[in-house]
Amino acid sequence: MRSKLIVVIFATTVMMAGLLMAIVLADSVPNGAGLAHPEFNGMQAGGDGGARLKHIGSLAFAFQSLLLVLIVCLAALGVSEQRRSTELWAYLGGTLLFSLFVWYQMYSSHQEFLATGTTDYFMGFPVATAWQVYGTWLGAIPLIILYTVGFRKFIFTEEDERKYEQLLEEIKARSEQ
Amino acid sequence: MEAYRQEIIVGAVVIYMIFCVITGLWAMRRTKNSSDFFIAGRGLGPIVVSLALFSSTLSGFGFVGGPGLVYSIGVSSFWMIVISSTGYALGFFLVAKRIRMIADVRNCISLPDVVAARYNSEAVRFLIAVTIVLGVMGYLATQILAMAVVMQAILSGTQMFADIGLVSCVVISSAVLIFYCVTGGIIASVYTDVVQGAIMMIAGTLILLTAMSVFDGGMQEATSIILADDSETIMPFGAAGIMASLGWFFVFGLGLAGQPHLVTKMMMNKKISDNRSILPMSLFGYVMAALLWVSIGVIMRAAVIDGVIPPLALPDDAASIFLSVFTNPLLAGIVFAGLFAAIMSTSDAFLNIGTAAIIHDIPKAIRGHSVQNELFWARVVTVILAIVAASFALYSHFQDATLVAILGAFGWATFAASIFPVLAIGLNWKGATALGAVSAIVSALLINFIVQLAGIVLPYGILGGLIAFVVSLLLFVGVSLVTKKPELDADMEAVLNI
Repeated sequence: MRSKLIVVIFATTVMMAGLLMAIVLADSVPNGAGLAHPEFNGMQAGGDGGARLKHIGSLAFAFQSLLLVLIVCLAALGVSEQRRSTELWAYLGGTLLFSLFVWYQMYSSHQEFLATGTTDYFMGFPVATAWQVYGTWLGAIPLIILYTVGFRKFIFTEEDERKYEQLLEEIKARSEQ
Repeated sequence: MEAYRQEIIVGAVVIYMIFCVITGLWAMRRTKNSSDFFIAGRGLGPIVVSLALFSSTLSGFGFVGGPGLVYSIGVSSFWMIVISSTGYALGFFLVAKRIRMIADVRNCISLPDVVAARYNSEAVRFLIAVTIVLGVMGYLATQILAMAVVMQAILSGTQMFADIGLVSCVVISSAVLIFYCVTGGIIASVYTDVVQGAIMMIAGTLILLTAMSVFDGGMQEATSIILADDSETIMPFGAAGIMASLGWFFVFGLGLAGQPHLVTKMMMNKKISDNRSILPMSLFGYVMAALLWVSIGVIMRAAVIDGVIPPLALPDDAASIFLSVFTNPLLAGIVFAGLFAAIMSTSDAFLNIGTAAIIHDIPKAIRGHSVQNELFWARVVTVILAIVAASFALYSHFQDATLVAILGAFGWATFAASIFPVLAIGLNWKGATALGAVSAIVSALLINFIVQLAGIVLPYGILGGLIAFVVSLLLFVGVSLVTKKPELDADMEAVLNI
């Protein structure tokens, strides 16, 4: 039987491709990818933030949300099938929710700024950007903890190591014959 | 001290280069065969691998192009670095364990060796090897050119070398690079990487502290100045917009596990269990070094808008002007040494994998065996490859930039699109087939080539590399799902079960 996980990965990628196609076909705006800065040569400016998200904002939000799903599915794919326990899935589910929460906070803080024109600051950056800088960087920390702390439980158990050593010995014995 | 600024910078760079030469001589005595030359005999400790991994990730682009990008497009370029934590994590989840196991089981010395073993296909080996050679030429040429340009800028500030030409700088910098790569192979590369990584971490931290003192209100004052000028630039998607930003997130995040010069280093550690400490150490090093990218770019854009300094002639001048205006000479010396470290650590990794592809993998794919006396030919081809890349670099600078630009298209995004599915998914899914792998590689190469050659500009800043990556993923999984599940060799079956 085919692994369901690879089908989920494939389906997620198909949906992302569909969203990309929709974005390519959406009405374009002059500052969609930035404009030359009116005063300083070599600088780009973003211009009206609301205008450039008008036609594609929700599509881009969905695209990134699916990418976060894809990342967690790929991390699960990196764990041997027999170690993909309920505990692992619960942990990865929590990781996904955390990443989606950071992404939502970033996007909604930006929307709020576009609506009000004001922002608070956190550790040197406007709040929306702080979610991007610190939140995205920290968003993968649960995966790193899973890999380092859960290494002997999910990634390369004592039993895996024994099987691997045994495989090497068999290969060595065969080559000496 | 200020009066001797240029001499201090030159001194720091010279000391660094002498260190590289000495390391090459030391490593030569430890390099006895091609396995030592290409993968350090799979005997490196976790600290060495960690530093080598992150210092190879952050090339000269990170030190020169990175701050320039922030100056030019603001926060958009942050997406290339904030994704590093996810990128490293995925690289280790998907690649680190199994690439090391396959290297051991089949005695592989290169990435094409590993994919050939996984798919039992010489066609896949050949395509990956050709992709690597094309990518290496573009990467190496741009790195060598960057190294020479920086060296010329430093030396021309001294009385003795005021009139030094770019060709001389290419010769000097390439000679040092070639010397330690030829004598010591990957062993010299990884041990120079250790020092290179340490310099980059120190430089990143010190630069952040300096940057925060440029404005009385620290980083917040700088970002407020940028916000008042053009708010989108300092908001999460920067001047380049949401799709360019998310495209970089995708290509740089997932794509890290498809970079041949990085994943090859995952074959070099002594014990598989070392991976659990290599991952956090590599990421920590990368984050510290990347502070330079973020902080210089933000401060320089704010300083120009606020009238503290005049506008830059080119965005890529951001780092060098920051160093000459805002830092003391000793720090400038450390950072310039760090810059050479960043460029050389990436270049030596590319020289190594490019040489392996030429003398080991392409002959093996065509004739069934690699060249005789691999160690000798590895050294010869390393020299030739570096000379050809340096010639490309000079030709591009003085005559026509098109060739290097086309080869440059075979950069990060092409490696990501063509190698990630084949390696990262293929090592974790027994249903992946050789036909799926061939489809993914060919589509990635074609799309990147066509977008580059035809100069296609997609709406909303969507990257051609992103399209190539998504198509390649779809084809890899889709074609594998509809083709017959392959019969794996017993040892591959065992490895994929662990």
